[in-house]
Amino acid sequence: MAPAPFNNDIRTLRFLASEMTQGDLGDKVGVTRQTIAAIEQGKYSPSLEVAFRIAHVFGKPLEEVFRWQNDIP
Amino acid sequence: MSFREKIHWASFFALLVAFGWYFLTYPWKIIGTAAGVGAVAGMLVPVTIIIISVMTITAAFFAIRTPKEANLKEDERERTIHIRGTHLAYYPLVLGVWANMIAMFYRLSVGEHLNLLIATVVIAELVRVGSQLYYYRRGY
Repeated sequence: MAPAPFNNDIRTLRFLASEMTQGDLGDKVGVTRQTIAAIEQGKYSPSLEVAFRIAHVFGKPLEEVFRWQNDIP
Repeated sequence: MSFREKIHWASFFALLVAFGWYFLTYPWKIIGTAAGVGAVAGMLVPVTIIIISVMTITAAFFAIRTPKEANLKEDERERTIHIRGTHLAYYPLVLGVWANMIAMFYRLSVGEHLNLLIATVVIAELVRVGSQLYYYRRGY
């Protein structure tokens, strides 16, 4: 499978949010720890709902968590 | 490794062991006789018991060890993996059904038809569970 056409700062944001674990974030968003890990690594593109939920946990707008890669049309 | 992935591994190995035993020990020399049909029925009983036992014990073991994970609902990524695996398993299933229909024109015995159907289901299940495990390992 091709990697997701966008980057994300979830790892950094977790660190800044009192070193939140992937499991904690997963619990807050309603997905498994493995799914958070897959999203962080760009192996899985989350649904719009999950993307918004992740952004909401960090209190950031969506575009500060997920960024489209400029070199991809 | 998530709870569901562990259950998938158990399912994969249970299928391999149970049906591996079935196909290796089935009395192929009497497949065309009534005893051959009886052997299919008789051997499916322990196969079913093996699979149900392995699945029950594994699910109980991991549910006790990690109850939080076991109680989690299937999330969207797991649902996608589930759907993709089922989709891929559809192809061997259709091929097997067609093979069985074509075999009818060659007047195969009931035992041969039964074994062809069992092989079809087993291959489809191995493709389903195997592909799901592959997607779990890859992250998607």
